[in-house]
Amino acid sequence: MTKQHIITWVILMILTVTSGLVSQSVAAFVVPVILLLAAFKFIGVAFNFMEMKKANLFWKILIVGYLVVFIGIVYLAM
Amino acid sequence: METTKINYKNIFYPPGGILLWIIIFLELITFGVALIAMVFSAKEDPILFHESRLHLNVTFGTINTVLLLTSGFFMAASVHELKGQRKEKAKKYLLATMLFGVLFLVLKSIEYNAKLDAGLIMGSNTFFTYYWMLTLFHVIHVIVGLVILTSVYFGLKKKNSTTKIEDVEASAAFWHMCDLIWLLLFPVIYLLF
Repeated sequence: MTKQHIITWVILMILTVTSGLVSQSVAAFVVPVILLLAAFKFIGVAFNFMEMKKANLFWKILIVGYLVVFIGIVYLAM
Repeated sequence: METTKINYKNIFYPPGGILLWIIIFLELITFGVALIAMVFSAKEDPILFHESRLHLNVTFGTINTVLLLTSGFFMAASVHELKGQRKEKAKKYLLATMLFGVLFLVLKSIEYNAKLDAGLIMGSNTFFTYYWMLTLFHVIHVIVGLVILTSVYFGLKKKNSTTKIEDVEASAAFWHMCDLIWLLLFPVIYLLF
């Protein structure tokens, strides 16, 4: 267990609870904030738990590219 | 346990192995397309989707996210300990990984039971068709992941273990994939509509 794993886990917990709390609001910014928080969590797991940060740039671009396209389409469709 | 130095910077050796990453992308695309289809369906009947979404328990969804992410945290810790040749610690973290995975399934079962009791089944409406299909498909992945992790655990437990670090990394990548899928399902199904 590394310090970085622990920090990543703490940040993921904070982001998860924040998502739940933000979703209770009816403000217009709720959708982009929830999607952004989900994107940060996705990146945290992929890069720090799955060690994608050590991978070839090709894989990093592929995973971030997928996320950008997915979040982008969902946001535009909402 | 056999350990070899893997050069992750090589395009053909991402952590977990290229074959697993092809599977991960196929899974992410499958779930991604289904979720996008769900969002477009919601545009046709936003009131139905909003009212149906209110039947879901956001607290359960949030706790399930915490459970899966904590499980993923122990999985990452387990792989790290194995790379450092600390097998006993790695096994303990692997058990913690599986425990949190099982807790996820227990909470999901309670949630499913409440939905069934309320008569909110797959055919209730379009929202619940997506809800059941997507979350059940994810649950199947979690169950498969737990079977893989159990096999890795008993492989590591053997006195003359032949389990390679690549095998453990591939299993870990599959398990983390369940996290990634849930991180897309949770906001779209439980929070957005």
